[in-house]
Amino acid sequence: MNPKDLRIMIIDDERIVGKRLKPAIEKTGSTVEIFTDGETALNRFQEQPFDIVVTDIRMDEMDGIEVLERVLALSPRTKVIIITGYATVEVAREALSKGAFDFIAKPFKPGDLRVIINRAGRELES
Amino acid sequence: MHDKTDNPTTTDGHSPSQETGDTDELEHRAFTERPTLSIRAKVILSFSLFFALCIAVTSWSIWMASDLTARIDFLEVAGDFMMEVQQARRYEKNFLLYGTNLDDALHHLEVAESQLKSQGNTIGKIVGTEHTDTMASYLNDYHSRLRELGSTDDTTRRQAIVPILRRDGAKIVSFAEDFVNAERANVKRHLLLAQRVPFLFLGALLLLMVVAGTWLSQSLLLTLMRFMAYTKRIGEGDFSPITPVRKFKDEFSQLAEAFNSMTRELTRRHDILVESHKLRAIGTLVAGVAHELNNPLNNTMLSASVLKEEWDDFSEDEKMEIIDDVISETERSQRIVRNLLDFARESEAKMQPLDLERIVQESVRLVANQVRMARLTLRTELEDNLPHVHGDEQMLKQVFVNLMLNAVDALPPRGSITVSARMDSKKDGFLVVKVQDDGPGIPEHFQQRIFEPFFTTKGKGKGTGLGLSVSQGIIHKLGGFLKVESEEGEGTTFIVSLPVTDFPSDIMSG
Repeated sequence: MNPKDLRIMIIDDERIVGKRLKPAIEKTGSTVEIFTDGETALNRFQEQPFDIVVTDIRMDEMDGIEVLERVLALSPRTKVIIITGYATVEVAREALSKGAFDFIAKPFKPGDLRVIINRAGRELES
Repeated sequence: MHDKTDNPTTTDGHSPSQETGDTDELEHRAFTERPTLSIRAKVILSFSLFFALCIAVTSWSIWMASDLTARIDFLEVAGDFMMEVQQARRYEKNFLLYGTNLDDALHHLEVAESQLKSQGNTIGKIVGTEHTDTMASYLNDYHSRLRELGSTDDTTRRQAIVPILRRDGAKIVSFAEDFVNAERANVKRHLLLAQRVPFLFLGALLLLMVVAGTWLSQSLLLTLMRFMAYTKRIGEGDFSPITPVRKFKDEFSQLAEAFNSMTRELTRRHDILVESHKLRAIGTLVAGVAHELNNPLNNTMLSASVLKEEWDDFSEDEKMEIIDDVISETERSQRIVRNLLDFARESEAKMQPLDLERIVQESVRLVANQVRMARLTLRTELEDNLPHVHGDEQMLKQVFVNLMLNAVDALPPRGSITVSARMDSKKDGFLVVKVQDDGPGIPEHFQQRIFEPFFTTKGKGKGTGLGLSVSQGIIHKLGGFLKVESEEGEGTTFIVSLPVTDFPSDIMSG
């Protein structure tokens, strides 16, 4: 099943991440909105929920774990994918225990993220 | 809890004060090229003085005793002489009054004459040779008159002789009495002297003991106190060598040399400690750097991957923009790695005037990832146009990194660290760098101990307890101070005071 028409939100305070991922993910037919901070992203999320949220875990104002908690509080069905800069078992365990769908460690290729998004899309449809 | 840090800090292993063989040699010569006046020699000299004084007094006493013996013997002889003369005069009277035998009187006179002859020298010394001679002539005259008296029966003649005879006799007796009295007075005077001299001797001995004792104890105690100050100084981490302060050398000079070789060894060990501590700090920093490095790496990877996937769809301008991103992100990676490598690189310690603002900024950048990972904020308040400080760049960074990593360890999430640098308002010619946090603070009973080696409040395996001790060692070597101000619940401030360099910074750094 192709995850078409999925609404995807990408949050990373590294501007280039969103800039490169947006066209690479939109190739699959999904809609992608990009943000560089959690607060703005959550405001947008409250206006209109997203199916998938991809968020960097380490950001200055609001970190990825907080984004994860607040997104799931607003929309439990949303799949949250965590990007970590420095993958450790603790970070992964914390993210997963708080309900993250999966996590991906920097550096990654757009294809790696697409695979996870596809998997999330299938789960959303099932 | 904050405290001893363990994050290391360290230096490149070569402390600025590390001595070279040449300076060792110089130190050694400074100690040996002085005349020797050992403590042993001083003690021997003092005791020899005592002994010489005792010998002098003992000899004098022996001489005095034999002198007194001789005088008393003489007094006996003098007594005998007087008795003989008096006997002679008694017989003379008997002869004149009762016409008895004159031979007894003559006999006694002869004895007296022989006594005067044999003791003439001694009597001469006591009453004077002139008097002795006069006396001898009187005795002679008396003797001859007495003989004349005995040999004549002429009454007129006798009457002429008798007054002269009596006069001479009286003179002899009074003369003998004079010298016996004079000699008695002599003996008395000498006895008195013999009584007084021991007291004089005791007084002199006391004086000598006080002088010698003061001299010995001064040279011992003052030097001991100096060495006590050295041990205190060394204990506080000042490993500069001891220099000679006296004009001569003794056993303490050897002790000073032993101290110097000990401090050289301590310096070497301190350098090793500083180095191993720095490695620990680097280990901590590497985790943060790896984290930070992944961002530009990820940006490069995404950009290059997208460029490859979409090569045909991108316009020339889009391709160029992506390639520019790849280049700038690679440069970013390079900066991150270079900052850590600058800190980690092993190099000779190089003392030079340093721009403290830059050192603090680069140290802050080194720990920036730890600060972010611990979800803390770090602010800097750096005064503009600070004068330069004299020091080794890596060692100073090691201290600041150490203090900041301690704060990171001490703070709960959302805590804040402030690093400030300004001129010291209380101490002229000093700069202060403060690393302040709003953490739980350090209990007062720990504050004295946190600079001790191996004291740590961090858990097992987390802290070595060497960070603050190493930092303090480094700052001491640069002539500065590292202090802590903390109250429980009120946060902690570590204060580094550093002397500003005396040299015009332009010349030195240029």
